Amino acid sequence: MIKNHPPTQFLADYSAGSLSLAPAISVTTHLQFCDQCREAVSGLNALGGELLNECDGVEISSSLLANTLDRLDAPTNSAPPSLSTQSGTSALIDGDLANELPDYLHKFVGRSTLNWRSLSSSVSVAPITVGETDYELALHRIEAGGKTPVHDHQGTEVTVVLKGTFSDEQGMYHEGDFLVREAGDVHQPIAAQNESCVCLSVLSAPIKLTGIKQVLNPFMRFNPS
Amino acid sequence: MKKDSGPDWNALLVRVGSHQDKAAFGALFSHFAPLLKGFLLKGGGVEPEQAEELVQETMIKVWRKAPSYAPAQAAASTWMYTIARNTRIDWLRKHSKKNQQTDELVAEDLFDENEESSPFTALIQTRNAGNIKAHLAELPQEQLQVLTLMYFQGKSGQEVADELSIPLGTVKSRVRLALQKLKLKLSPTGEDQQVVYAQ
Repeated sequence: MIKNHPPTQFLADYSAGSLSLAPAISVTTHLQFCDQCREAVSGLNALGGELLNECDGVEISSSLLANTLDRLDAPTNSAPPSLSTQSGTSALIDGDLANELPDYLHKFVGRSTLNWRSLSSSVSVAPITVGETDYELALHRIEAGGKTPVHDHQGTEVTVVLKGTFSDEQGMYHEGDFLVREAGDVHQPIAAQNESCVCLSVLSAPIKLTGIKQVLNPFMRFNPS
Repeated sequence: MKKDSGPDWNALLVRVGSHQDKAAFGALFSHFAPLLKGFLLKGGGVEPEQAEELVQETMIKVWRKAPSYAPAQAAASTWMYTIARNTRIDWLRKHSKKNQQTDELVAEDLFDENEESSPFTALIQTRNAGNIKAHLAELPQEQLQVLTLMYFQGKSGQEVADELSIPLGTVKSRVRLALQKLKLKLSPTGEDQQVVYAQ
């Protein structure tokens, strides 16, 4: 049972379309695991639909329908195809990991080879590029029993557990759990003893490590290329 | 639930998907295009000509995606709302100077549109639609105002707070109160994750 979900405002921003790419990806990823939040989002979307229904219509140019009809049969314009129509990309992910990720994530993760970097003996990180500079999106893997460095946050960090479990000072988190850590929170995630833990994380600003000045700062401070 | 008078938009949309029926598309267009234009203009930041471009783009996507429309999962208006929202997101990203959009990601990749519909989702969908219709008019002005800024203008909770010069917490609580009044489901976690630890 998932205990940690995106806050209501987060879901509302998601449905209204104001979340940036990386946070939106983290919410959709959570929805792959969580029927309750899916239901909440479905209600929020229905609210959007009803606000559209209730909107005062504004007259449109008389030629717009004819123009639109003309374009219906045209071959797909130069707009890039949606990633969801592309296939075969998951071959770029290492085999084990491919099975651990929700299908939804494959379209982002599989676009280029994941570049795993070790941050310590038990923690590695692989950035995912989505063309956004405000947020850093990445996969983290903590080996069984491994600890991440104690760190605090200058910005908001969102974590979605994709596989395995980890715990910190406040609790234990399982697959699908969605955690938000605000600036100023300090924590030290530790993976369960019996299996490694893979998470999706979204960071809005660099974090700094507590106590160890600068040395391990690159825990998440990578620059998406 | 009160039945809408007028055409059954859901059925027309299904017909567009199953038969590439241009007459059905035309009927949907005549009804929804002015609403979509109103919706986009109300958001601000979009000129009337641009709004029509976005309306056209939205309606072309509606035509192309209609085969995947499942009425059990969403009302036609809800489905069109999500397509219009995604079209606006892409448009705003394309015109944003902040992020260098060299990337080929489009908004529909962010949202998972391929959900399965089950009798259960159909039930929830019908119930939600009925509740929203029944109670939207009862919302206090201040709650409606926040929702309007969020949905029409695509402003985040924080941006709404800034615009109205009220604390973010007030925005959040207005949204929660509105959703409760509309009998929509809130996040199981509520506003703050700390709620979980207190249980």
